[in-house]
Amino acid sequence: MKNFNIILGLVLLGLTSLSAQSVEIRDYHKDVIGNDCKTCHDNGIKQFPSDEACLQCHNVDDLAKQTMPANEEDKWQNPHNNLHYGKDVPCQECHGEHTPKKQPLCNTCHTFKFKGYKG
Amino acid sequence: MSNIDLLGRRKFIAGLGIAAGAAVVAPAMAMSEKADGVKWDKEVEILIIGSGFAGLAAAIEATKLGAKDVHIFEKMSYFGGNSAINGGLFAAPGTPMQKKEGVEDSVDRMVADQMLSGRGVADEVLLRHIASHAVEALQMTLDAGAEYHPYLQQLGGHSVARTYQTAVSCGAGITQPMYKECKRIGVNTHNRSKFEGFLLGDKGEVVGVKMRSNYHFEEDQPGKVMNIRAKRGVIMATGGFAQNVDLRMAEDPTLTAEVGCTNAPGATGEGMLEMFRLGAIPVHLAYIQSGPWASPDEGGFGYVSNYSIFNFPHSIAVNRLTGKRFMNEIADRKTRADAELSCRDEKGNALPPILITSYKDSKVHPNTEKVIKYNVGWKFDSVEALAKHFDVPLEALKAQIAEYNGFVKTGEDKQFAKDMTMAKNKMIEAPFTVVRLWPKVHYCQGGVKINTKAEVKDSLTGQSIPGLYAAGEVSGGIHGVSRLGSCSIPECMVMGMTAARSLMKV
Repeated sequence: MKNFNIILGLVLLGLTSLSAQSVEIRDYHKDVIGNDCKTCHDNGIKQFPSDEACLQCHNVDDLAKQTMPANEEDKWQNPHNNLHYGKDVPCQECHGEHTPKKQPLCNTCHTFKFKGYKG
Repeated sequence: MSNIDLLGRRKFIAGLGIAAGAAVVAPAMAMSEKADGVKWDKEVEILIIGSGFAGLAAAIEATKLGAKDVHIFEKMSYFGGNSAINGGLFAAPGTPMQKKEGVEDSVDRMVADQMLSGRGVADEVLLRHIASHAVEALQMTLDAGAEYHPYLQQLGGHSVARTYQTAVSCGAGITQPMYKECKRIGVNTHNRSKFEGFLLGDKGEVVGVKMRSNYHFEEDQPGKVMNIRAKRGVIMATGGFAQNVDLRMAEDPTLTAEVGCTNAPGATGEGMLEMFRLGAIPVHLAYIQSGPWASPDEGGFGYVSNYSIFNFPHSIAVNRLTGKRFMNEIADRKTRADAELSCRDEKGNALPPILITSYKDSKVHPNTEKVIKYNVGWKFDSVEALAKHFDVPLEALKAQIAEYNGFVKTGEDKQFAKDMTMAKNKMIEAPFTVVRLWPKVHYCQGGVKINTKAEVKDSLTGQSIPGLYAAGEVSGGIHGVSRLGSCSIPECMVMGMTAARSLMKV
């Protein structure tokens, strides 16, 4: 029993250490960035990155084309080029890396269905 | 209940959660202080806080008048505030479209309409100032590239058609062109910048502000605070406080977290509160306008609001517990909002009432197809299907519809004295379109006292606070008890332009 408790303690300690060190990163970002936090964290680790961080790799014009609704009538229901703010909503307003956003900014007022949305 | 209604109810509950959560997240404590010995991080010529109609108009006007270094600071990550999500309705007397359509209008006439709506306690001097310059503000939007529907509208309380509406029926039809114009002429725009207090000179004049950078709304935020000196002055264009549940309840206890809000999330009022700290006079804070046309099934203003506004005259609003009407559907906003809030189930929980309209009358409005498409409105072929869907007592509802149709015929509403003029020949009959109603806080008539130069008055001295200007919904007293629709844009823009002219000594 004594040995078991020691082993259990070590296992729990290990889990705690792992837990303390692990930060959720999306697979597709992990594949490209690995563990280099500074790739995004241009304001230091303790602050949110700047709004320019995402744009190092992603192009808002390309995104706007990809998410353009098929219906001309719905053209302004484009999360990357919308009626209210154009292409000027920072990525972090709808996407969170370590903690996913619950919904896109649009859905604080609208009930749009964005199929490919990953908070 | 059907699955659809459950979704609606869940959304409603979720909405309540968000509103309740907002009340818990207290605004960061701002604090103004003496600028003695302060190390300035930045110096700007003109410092504007807020990026809605008022802030954008101030920036453009100041630059036109020769300012070389104009800065707009916005606490949210995107620009436009409430202005970017409103209905884009702009009232002005003596406009090109009025001349073209042969509409006789004048500053006097517009001001008279507004004084009547304001129940006699509106600020006639400021209303006259705004109406006198409204055409100039409209021209500024046209110069920036804004486009309008090719017809005038006459909104409730206006004695004549004088309202333009943007071609996209949204304030973004103005904010987007004006924001782009700001960029084009070299205005410096800064997002995620949170105003945290004034910096005062020896005589109590405003000489600058404290500004937190890399601000993320409602997040724990260690961004750096900068001291920014404003060489000419500070223009507060920070909007209203409809999203601040604690503050609005202090003024009107009926406006609990249960009452939704049409505003953008940043409309929490810290800028106004900080001006009060400096001694600004609070005016009309309790006059808070709720929209009885709003829906618990979508956030903000959504699609139902315009749908309901159009349909109220020829529809019935029904309490789902009783199957009966409970209000005059075209009474004033406060009366209707309170009546809706009183609709409860057996346990006293909110039971949003329904607005029932004949499809033949509702289909005229473009939003009818939208509310159905986005599941915030429903269409039924029979009163039985409607009653089943919303769990309304069928026989009582049938009796109510028959009774109301009698009023349509006679032109006299014996239940609530509704003016039946607009309901003439519009019987309530299948097929029906139906939406749920629940009020949302929409506009705060109150704010800081200003004069016709957009200067902020000190409550102790009665004089203006030097270096401090305010424009738009953050100022108070202008509209009195009730603001007329389409009168906010001209106010915001004219007073933004006025603040710029004051700073540039025009």
